[in-house]
Amino acid sequence: MLNIDDLKVSLEEEEKQIIKGLSLSIKPGEVHAIMGPNGSGKSTLSSVLAGKDGYIIDSGTVNFDGSDLLEAEVEERAALGIFMAFQYPIEIPGVGNMNFLRTALNSQRKTRGQEELNAADFLKLVRGIAKDLEISDEMMKRPVNVGASGGEKKRNEILQMCLLEPRFVILDETDSGLDVDAMKLVSKGVNNFSSSSRSFLVITHYQRLLNYIVPDFVHIMVDGRIVKTGDKTLALHVEETGYKDFLQLGKGKH
Amino acid sequence: MIHANTSSWYDSLSQELKRSSASIEKVNRRSEYWRKSNLDIVSDLVQEISETDLINLKGTYIHEPELTIDGDIMELASDKSYKISSIMDEIADEDSFTKNYFGKLEEKSQKLVPRPLARDNSLNPKVGYALSLSESSKKPLVIHNKTNKSARNCFQRNLIIVKKGVEATIIETGNNLSVFNSVTEIYLDENAKLNYLDLTGENNIFPKISHKFCDMAEKSTFNHFGLRLNTKSTRNEIELHLNGPGINTSIANVSLINKKHHFSDENVLINHNAYECKSRQVFKSVLENDCTSIVRGKIYVAPEAQKTDGYQSSRSLLLNENSKFLCKPELEIYADDVICSHGSTSSSLDRESLFYLLSRGVHRNKAKEMLITAFISEALDEIEDESIKSELSNYIDVWTSSFFHE
Repeated sequence: MLNIDDLKVSLEEEEKQIIKGLSLSIKPGEVHAIMGPNGSGKSTLSSVLAGKDGYIIDSGTVNFDGSDLLEAEVEERAALGIFMAFQYPIEIPGVGNMNFLRTALNSQRKTRGQEELNAADFLKLVRGIAKDLEISDEMMKRPVNVGASGGEKKRNEILQMCLLEPRFVILDETDSGLDVDAMKLVSKGVNNFSSSSRSFLVITHYQRLLNYIVPDFVHIMVDGRIVKTGDKTLALHVEETGYKDFLQLGKGKH
Repeated sequence: MIHANTSSWYDSLSQELKRSSASIEKVNRRSEYWRKSNLDIVSDLVQEISETDLINLKGTYIHEPELTIDGDIMELASDKSYKISSIMDEIADEDSFTKNYFGKLEEKSQKLVPRPLARDNSLNPKVGYALSLSESSKKPLVIHNKTNKSARNCFQRNLIIVKKGVEATIIETGNNLSVFNSVTEIYLDENAKLNYLDLTGENNIFPKISHKFCDMAEKSTFNHFGLRLNTKSTRNEIELHLNGPGINTSIANVSLINKKHHFSDENVLINHNAYECKSRQVFKSVLENDCTSIVRGKIYVAPEAQKTDGYQSSRSLLLNENSKFLCKPELEIYADDVICSHGSTSSSLDRESLFYLLSRGVHRNKAKEMLITAFISEALDEIEDESIKSELSNYIDVWTSSFFHE
C-alpha cells in the first residue's frame, strides 16, 4: 500500500536535513508504530506524507498504491485515502464544524467521481459517528475545534477519520494531552475503524497508547532513520529502558 | 423634478452655510482626513452639473418588495409604516417639518472633522427624500438608488427621523452609474432603533461618497452595516452623536475588493457625549490585486461620558503583496471611568488553517473561500436580524466563490 524508499527531507527555511534516509513498507491491514525521542523526525515524516509545505524532498520516493504520492496536492492525497490525525488540531473560528465536515466529505467524493451526499444522509451519518465517540450536539455546532478541550479535539479528529473513511491513517501523537478515559475512547474509535484493507501508522512517544491500539510492527526512529524494527514487545522494551540503547545505533550510521 | 424655488428658511440657512464654508478645510492630500485617500473621487465630483444631467437623473425611490444588489433579487418585503416625501419639495415648503432638522447635523459635523463635500451637498441638493418613521416595522424598508449614466453628478440629500420607541430597518442598495455624493441626516428619538444596511455592489462603477450624520437620544440604538463588493471607489463618512445615557451603537463594514486598484475608504467618528453608552466598530477588508482599503475610526469621549464602553477592531486579509490596508484608529478620552479598546491587524490567509482544510480533501479554492467567509463573519454577526444576515451571508458566499476564479 505505502512504500517509502530512502527518503531524505530537509526543512525549507533552515536547510537542515531532518529525515536522513528512511525506508518503510506498509501492507493493507497492517498497524505500524513509530517511536522515537524528541527531534528524531517522526512528526516531519507525518507532515511530509500528508503534504504540508515547508519541506524539501532531497531524495527518495513515496509510493501509494502505485502512484507517486509526493507529486500529489494535499487535497488529492486526502481523496486518495490518506488521513493524518493532527497532533495539535487547528481551531478555525468562523467555520462551522458541520459545514466543514460536509464540505470535506463531498469534496472528496467529487474528486473520486462519486455522487455528493445530501444534507439528510450526511446528518444521519455524522450523528451516528458522533454518538459513538460521545461528541455532543453542542460541540458539533461550534466552529471547527473552537472552545474544545484537548480530548475533544482528538475525538473530533477520529470523527473526521470515521466520516472520510480513508485507507491509510497516520495518528500523529494522538495520545498527547489525553487522559486514560479519553485515550480508551479514541482507541476504541480507531479499533472499530480498522479492517483488513486499512493501514495505520501510529506515531507516539510512549508505549501506553500501544496497549490499546496494538501494532503489528514497531519501528524505533532516531536522528531521521529507522534504527530498529520489531513487534509490540519492542515498545515494552523502550518503556523499560528508554531510548538510550538506540541513540548509539543512530549515530553509528553517520 | 427640478425646483426653481426654495423656501426662505432654506435660503437663509444656505446663506449662513455659505459664509461659514470658508473655514472648512478643502480636500487636499496633506489633510489627515484625506491622506492616502483616492482624490480622483473629488475631481470627478466638482464638475458642473448641466441641465440635461438633471433631467436624466432618475434619483432615488423607495423600492417596495425586494432587495437587489447589482440586480440579484433577494426576497425581502416592506410595508407602509412610514411617511416619505421629496426633499426638494420640503425645502421649497415654508412650513416644512424639515426646517428644524435640515443642515443641523451637517453643520455640527464640521466641528471635529472638515467635511467640505457634505457642505457642497447642503448647498446644492438635487434629489433625495425626507422619511419619517412613526410605527415599528419588522420588514425592512428598501431604498434603491438608481442613477443614470448620463448624469454626471448626483448630490443626494436625505433626512430620516425615527420617532420615540420606533424600530425600523432600512436597506440602501442599487447601482450607481454616476458620481454620487450623498448626505443623510438621521435623528433617533428616545428608545428609537434604526438598523441601516448600506450595500454597495460591483455595479457602482463610479466614485461614491456618502455621509451619514446621526443624532441619538437616550436609550436609542443605531446599527450600521456596510458592504463594499468590488466598488471602484467609495468613501463613507459616519458621525454619531450619542447625546443621552444608555445608547447602543454598532458600525460594521465588510469590504471585499479584488478588481485592480479599486478602493474603499471608511471614516467613522463616534462622539460619546453621555454616560453609560456603548459603541462597537468592526471593520473587515479582504483585498487582492493591488486594492486599497482605508479605515479611520475615532472614538471621542466627553468628560461627562463616564462608563463609556467603546470597542474598535479593524482587520484585513491581504491576498497579494501590493494590496494595502491603511488603518488609523483613534481614541480621544476626557472621562476617567471608561473601557475603550482598539485593535488592528493585517495578515495573509493562515497557512495552518488552510493546510488543515486541504488535508481533509477540501479543494483549494473552496478552502480559501471558507477562510474568507470565516474572516468576515465577525462583522456579519453585528447584523441582528437573522433572516437578513443569512440572506446576505448566502449572497456574499456566492460572490466570494467567484472571487478566486477570475
